[in-house]
Order: sequence, then C-alpha cells, then structure tokens
Amino acid sequence: MTEALISEGRLVGVAKMDLSGPLTAVEDDTVTDLSQDTVGVNSAPGDMIAIENLRLWYGDQEALHGITMSIRERHVTAFIGPSGCGKSTLLRCVNRMNDRIPDCRIQGRITLDGKDIYESKVDVVRLRTRVGMVFQKPNPFPKSIYENIAFAPRIHGVARKGNEMDELVETCLRRAGLWEEVKDKLHQPGTALSGGQQQRLCIARTIAVRPDVILMDEPCSALDPIATAKIEELIDELKTEFTIVIVTHNMQQAARVSDYTAFFYLGTLVEYQNTNTMFTSPEKAQTEDYITGRFG
Amino acid sequence: MSNIDLTPSIRRRYRAEQRFKVYCMSAVAFALLFLAFFFIDLVSRGWPALEQAQLQTEVSYSETVKAGHYRKAIDKSLQKIASRGWLRTLPLYLRQHPDRVGDKEVMWITADASVDQYLKGHQSNLKEKQRKLVDRLYSEGRIRLGFNWDFFTRGDSKLPELAGIHSAIVGTVYVLFLTMIFALPIGVMTAIYLEEFAPDNRLIRMIEVNINNLAAIPSIMFGLLGLAIFINFFGVPRSSALVGGLTLSLMTLPVIIISARAALKAVPDSIREGALGVGASPWQALWYHILPVAMPGILTGSIIGLAQAMGETAPLIIVGMLAYIPDEPSSVFEATTVLPAQIFTWAGEPLRAYAERTAAGILVLLAVLLSLNGLAIWLRRRFERSW
Repeated sequence: MTEALISEGRLVGVAKMDLSGPLTAVEDDTVTDLSQDTVGVNSAPGDMIAIENLRLWYGDQEALHGITMSIRERHVTAFIGPSGCGKSTLLRCVNRMNDRIPDCRIQGRITLDGKDIYESKVDVVRLRTRVGMVFQKPNPFPKSIYENIAFAPRIHGVARKGNEMDELVETCLRRAGLWEEVKDKLHQPGTALSGGQQQRLCIARTIAVRPDVILMDEPCSALDPIATAKIEELIDELKTEFTIVIVTHNMQQAARVSDYTAFFYLGTLVEYQNTNTMFTSPEKAQTEDYITGRFG
Repeated sequence: MSNIDLTPSIRRRYRAEQRFKVYCMSAVAFALLFLAFFFIDLVSRGWPALEQAQLQTEVSYSETVKAGHYRKAIDKSLQKIASRGWLRTLPLYLRQHPDRVGDKEVMWITADASVDQYLKGHQSNLKEKQRKLVDRLYSEGRIRLGFNWDFFTRGDSKLPELAGIHSAIVGTVYVLFLTMIFALPIGVMTAIYLEEFAPDNRLIRMIEVNINNLAAIPSIMFGLLGLAIFINFFGVPRSSALVGGLTLSLMTLPVIIISARAALKAVPDSIREGALGVGASPWQALWYHILPVAMPGILTGSIIGLAQAMGETAPLIIVGMLAYIPDEPSSVFEATTVLPAQIFTWAGEPLRAYAERTAAGILVLLAVLLSLNGLAIWLRRRFERSW
C-alpha cells in the first residue's frame, strides 16, 4: 500500500491510510463513502464541506449567528473580515479544535463528504487526520525537523521507520518547498529554523498525513513579505490536491491566493462569492466598504 | 537637549538610586555574613568528629577473651584508655572466626572518648596518672588522631567514640526511596490529570484549592495523619522505614503536584494544538510532545520536594522514628532511624563528643541536600529546550 503512496515525488491520493471508521474515504478521492442520507441540502457535487445554520456560543455570548455555506473541493476559500468577526472560530469548528474550549457550545451541522462531523460516533482523531490545520504562529514540535514530519505518519501507522519514512519525509519537505533548505540538517531542531521555514515545516507536517482539507489560520501573519510570498506560492500548488480554507486579515492575500472569498462581520456571513467578483463588484455595500478599507 | 532644567531633579534621582542600591547590597551582605558564620561554626564544630583517638597495642585473641573476658585482650595498663565498646566486640568476633583464637596482632584500636577529648584539648575526665600515660604514648607515636572511619561505618551507640551515622544514612536512603516510589507517580499523574484532562468544574476547583492548602500545612500534621492512618488503622510497624516513607510521601505529594502542574502549564498551548492538529490523541500529544518539554521542570520540582522531605524531622518523631536504633534496618518493616532524627538525638546528649557528632551529622545532611539540589539544577540545564 505504501508503494503507491509516493509516486514521482508527489503525494497521490490513491492509497488511503487505514482509518476505517465513519469518515473513511475509499480508494479514489472523488468517490467517497456515499451514504447519501446524511448529505445536507446545500451539498452540490464538488462541495467538500457543507456548513448548515451553524451557531456557536462561548458561554453566554453567541459568536456565530447561523452560518450556512459550502466549501468546494480542491479550491482555496478565504475567510476575511475584521477582528472578532468569527472567521477563526468557524475555521476551528471544521476540525473540532473548539472542542478544547470548555464552555463552547454549537448548534447546526457541518458535513464533510456528506457526513456530519459533530455526530457522537465521529472520532475526533480520525477527523483531524482528514482535516489538517496550520496555525497563526508557526508551532513546530520542539524536536528535529525529521521528527516533526515523521511523528504523525508514525502514530497513524502509515509509514514505519527506515527508508519508507525517509522517503515520506523527503516528499513532504519537497512538497512544502523546504527540502533544499533543510536536507543537510534534518536532525537539527525544527525550532531553530526561521519563521517562514517553520511555517512551511508545519505545512509539510500537515500534508504528511495526507488530509483532504487543510485549514490555515492566518498562516502568514507572523511572517515577512518574502516568506509570505513563498507560502502563497505553496498554497497555489497545494490546491491541486487539497481543499484549502484560509483565514486572513490581508485582503490582497485573499485576492491573490483564493478562488472563493467569504466576508464575515459580527458572527454572520455577509457575502460569499467567487473571489474575482468579490473584489471587483461585490453585491453588498458592507463588503465593498470593508475591502476598500472604509471600515474594519 | 530638553527645554526644562532637569539638573537638580536628576541629581536627586541619581542619589536616591544610589541609596537604594546600597540598601539592597547591604541586605545581601548581611545574609552572606550569616551564612558564612553558620558554615564556619558548623565546620569548626563538626570537623573534630572526623578524627578519633586511636591506640596502638597488641591484641591477643585468647580463649579467655572468647569466653567473654574481653578486657584481657590488651595489656592491663591500657585497659582504662581503650574503648570498652570496641573491646566488647571481640568475643563475638572470635565466635564468628574461631580460627583466629590463639593469634596475637599489633593493631590500632579505638581509644576511649575521654582520651579523644583530652587530645583535642577539651575537658576530659581522665585521671592525672592516665593523662601522663597518654602524653607518653602520644610522644612515642602509639596514640594518634586518625580518620574516624567508625563514624561512617557504625550505627548509633551509647559510647560516643563508637557512635556513627551509618544506620541513619541507610535509613534515610530507605525512607527517601519509598517516598519517591509513592509520591512521584501519584503526584505526576495527578498533575497530568488536573492540568491536561480534568473538566473545569466546581469539584475539580475544590480539589485544586485543597492541594494548594496541603502544601502549606505544618509538617507535624502529616505525622499525626500518618500515625492515625498508617500505624493505627493499617497496622504498619511503628518506626519502620515504610511508615516513614508513607508519611513523608503524603507531605511531599502537594509539592510535587504543584510543581508538575506549573511545569505542564508552562508548555505553550501551540504545541498541544500542533499535535492534536495532525490527529494525535490527547494521550499521544502528552506523551510525545508535552511531557518531554515539561520533564525538566517536573524533575526539578520533585527533587526539591524530596530534598525537603529528607530534612524533615517533625512528622517522623510522631511515627516513632526518634528511638535509639543502633542497627541498620534489614527490611522496610524494621525499626530504623534517619539522618535528621539521629542529629536530633545526638543534640540532646550532654557529652561533648556527641556535640561534635551532631555538627558532623549536620554537615553530612547538608552535603546530601546540596548534591540533590545540584542534581536538580543539572537536570534542568541538561534537558532544557527552546520552542
């Protein structure tokens, strides 16, 4: 199974890791476990994630007021909006990172490939192998570069020690455009890299488990313009294989990297459009005000 | 430059700063002075205990000695200045080694404590005749002050020249080992649960408050608790290393829990999120990423907690570890003594030779404590990581 894993230096989605459970996809990425009974109303072919009337509370405070949207497979969707509008909160609902917050409560549905991810029988660990995440602040593990990549494949039993793992590490680092910079220091700590390199290491670490979706929570906000450009380039390459959702404060970035853009304001989805349309002729006045910098 | 004339106020500010610096430095100097005084006093009192008067003489292993007339082993003129306690060990020695009966041997034997004190220039109850004898033998080189091996190889004794710290050291090792075995796993696992897995509810908060309170409770209370639970209820033998270890682990637990929690809390949340984000279970995130980062802190806190337990006397008095126990324990159920209790016992003895041993015992205790704390610092340096 692992021979098929690496072909011509790029990851292919043929051999799915054995995560037999409610979220298991079968051999081909595009054909998923089709129990159509759970498919939401908004799901259309090509939609990876469907969010249906999602409401979220932190304690008594309602942070998301009924969001409904769907996210297309193998495209980049950007979430924009002023601070505190709920875009990061929504993003963290998709891989259930919000489960860690004690007084966080949600209502509504999020489906991934037609399966409700908040159903009680869904295994969060399995979900997070399918929905990877890159955080705002680069957070490599305080271990070697090699170990940073190898950790997840090892705990999931995708690749064992030795050649197989070496190849996987190399492939992931190449895909993240980091191989040439780090190939001579694989066993040095990942924390010794520069900020931009650390963030690419985190992306490499995420794709090592071959997720379907990669969530990026302001991945460039701690980086300089050159490192940012590299990450954006990388996002552009990765979207051929992964569905990417990116939260950003930088509207130029949203315009540059994304195919679709969603504008949030005070916990509601104001407008969700094709990026070109969004930045040239937005429907709502509020959106136009925000992207032209009149408020926010 | 500024348009305001700052000259007078700046000068005043500098002067205040200077004064403040002097206050702080004199406080430090004061503390150092006390420390120096403490150490000089201890060392000057304890040092003589490392030397012990010894007497060179011919020892005859005769049948009479084996039969119990141990004084006959040496020349009659020396019987008053040799250690009676040392001579008393001879019959047993001969019963164990019957082949030595009939041998004669010239050797250094322990002298009486009064000779020791006389040679060290302290008050001594030697008679005039014996003083002359000691002076003569000393000038002939047949009496000397040699290194006091007995202090480290023997247990407590009612004869000061034979009293040593060995069984107390063995007892301390037993007790500390048991304390570590009980307190470390329970403490670290409690900390992990409270910090990483516990829900944030009223019960957990109450437990947390109580743990913090326990750390501040006078240690003698833990002795009473140990007495009530371990001895009276569970019937653990009194004075045993087991009851000492259990009591001290009760006392050390809060310290370990608090320091382990602080170490876990110091691990940045981004590491947890990173691990969970690639699909690690909470347990895997903890085991592979959080614990390795928190380990130096946990170990440092635990070692300091154990060092504190080692110097603790009050709770051990309550569970009966202050008795006169000359022999080292052969199991954890046997009566044993520990370093601080031994020091406490000696401190109450009127003889000058015991006062020396008290100071020397404190020096040994301090040396062990300092090396434990040194180990803690070394571990922290060794495993410190950046992230």
